[in-house]
Amino acid sequence: MTRDYQGDDMIIANNVDKIYPNGCHALNQVSATIKRGEVVVVVGPSGSGKSTFLRTLNQLETINSGNITIDGTDMYDKKTDINQLREEVGMVFQSFNLFPHKDVLANVMLAPMKVAKRPKAEVEQLAKKLLIKVGLKDRMFNYPNNLSGGQQQRVAIARALAMEPNIMLFDEPTSALDPEMVGEVLDVMKSLAAEGMTMVVVTHEMGFAKEVADRVLFMESGQLLVDSDPESFFDNPTNPRLQQFLSMII
Amino acid sequence: MHTQPNKLLWHSAFVAILLALALAIQASSDRINYQWNWHRVTPYILNTEPTPIFAEQNGNIIENAQGQLLFESESGDQRLDLSQFEQVMVSEGDTIFEGDQVASQPQWQFGPIIQGLGVTIEISIYSLVFAIILGLAFGLMRVSHNIVLRNLAITYVEIIRGTPLLVQIFIIYFFVGTVLELERFTSGVIALAVFTGAYVAEITRGGIQSIPKGQMEAARSLGMTYLQAMYYVILPQAFKRVLPPLAGQFINLIKDSSLVSVIAITDLTKAGREVVSGSFAPFEVWFTVALLYLLLTGSLSWGVQRLEKRLAASD
Ligand SMILES: Nc1ncnc2c1ncn2[C@@H]1O[C@H](COP(=O)(O)OP(=O)(O)O)[C@@H](O)[C@H]1O
Ligand SMILES: [Mg+2]
Repeated sequence: MTRDYQGDDMIIANNVDKIYPNGCHALNQVSATIKRGEVVVVVGPSGSGKSTFLRTLNQLETINSGNITIDGTDMYDKKTDINQLREEVGMVFQSFNLFPHKDVLANVMLAPMKVAKRPKAEVEQLAKKLLIKVGLKDRMFNYPNNLSGGQQQRVAIARALAMEPNIMLFDEPTSALDPEMVGEVLDVMKSLAAEGMTMVVVTHEMGFAKEVADRVLFMESGQLLVDSDPESFFDNPTNPRLQQFLSMII
Repeated sequence: MHTQPNKLLWHSAFVAILLALALAIQASSDRINYQWNWHRVTPYILNTEPTPIFAEQNGNIIENAQGQLLFESESGDQRLDLSQFEQVMVSEGDTIFEGDQVASQPQWQFGPIIQGLGVTIEISIYSLVFAIILGLAFGLMRVSHNIVLRNLAITYVEIIRGTPLLVQIFIIYFFVGTVLELERFTSGVIALAVFTGAYVAEITRGGIQSIPKGQMEAARSLGMTYLQAMYYVILPQAFKRVLPPLAGQFINLIKDSSLVSVIAITDLTKAGREVVSGSFAPFEVWFTVALLYLLLTGSLSWGVQRLEKRLAASD
């Protein structure tokens, strides 16, 4: 099904509403379309709904109304197997969330073996290739608790890539890192972008947005207020809320 | 090196207190004129009495061509070679009646206390296995988002934790056991497993809820089903955390198993009660029984400690 999708629109969010059980209206009529190979950066003040938006894209949060199409598949169609859909959408968390009871190699190999049911030898080869890619081949047999934050986040990226997803979601991947480790994680993300991965990145790294993003989205109070190319986003912002936001962070 | 002599002092103080306690026990038993007779207990632990061999029919003792003594029944249809026994108590030509002792055979046999210990171990192991299964199942139901499953689990845990084990044993033996025609051993295992299972369920729930939410989210985002995420990610981590309380619960199980003696299962405690009346050495018997329970619980906690050390690899 989804793997055969040849269309250009990888993510279509249409009038998405999310109201948490406590009544918090976290997403208010959010619509966005993200094309194959695009890198889209989402910015906005804390509590504006960025994480919620990202988490609706792999259904870690269900939505109250609207619809979402991922890789050609309607997420809320009754015939859609959400676990299968999630295999195509990798996610990287602010807090890494590596599995602490497994070493680095086992962290990367777990899902391809148990979910995709691929043979162990093949998965091991893939995992080693990915660990080379994120620069952690020599840390293969370490446990996550013995790694620095930057190293853990790179393992988390390798772990998500091991399912060979078509889309990668990043929720503030560098926010929990010491400043000197931010670069090593952003470098991995840049190389991923250069390979043509479709990426949605929530981040406060404006440098990354300017350099890598094809489009930048601005959210506030659960609404998507601005969706534009990085040049006009940063250099000629017309939205007054965005102007205010940019003036505060620069 | 200031602490060295100090430590020695405290260790000596500890030993001195133990000695004082032992002396106190000695003194108080002297006061009631108690005669310690440990040798009276040993046959109930390991029986070395020769077993008597009895004639099963009326008959005679004859000698065969090789000079061996045989017992031959009157009808001639049964012959028993007596040379196989260590001690023969009859001689050629004797007339034997059914039930007479003809020989005795020295042998080793576990006494009732060790047999009771065996029953306690057996009942504990069976109950342990079922308690783990019950506890895991109800612990998972307890954290499930399904209201029916969750309420069932809450009801089970609250009922079991809110009533005494002794009452549960009686209910299961007299009611469930009668309805389903269960043997008393099975009733005992069910009662203990159901009781311990409720506590294991609570421990399991606590363990699962102690794992950060991000672990489940990471697992689900990789395409794992809820059960896969539980099995591969959450439970292995939770298991490590619940090992100490779980071990405590299993030690309780071994001790609680002594209550099944009320439904006439001859476990270690019941064997102790029976032996006391036969041996007239109540203090020795109960000290022995206590020591054997201590041996069981001690080896269990030793085993769990070793397991904990092995699981600590990823810390
Ligand atoms: N699980 C939740 N339950 C209730 N409210 C939530 C939950 N998660 C987030 N929220 C609320 O939803 C709003 C958006 O949160 P979030 O998406 O985390 O914002 P951001 O990532 O932009 O900081 C906030 O007001 C937050 O308090
Ligand atoms: Mg957030």
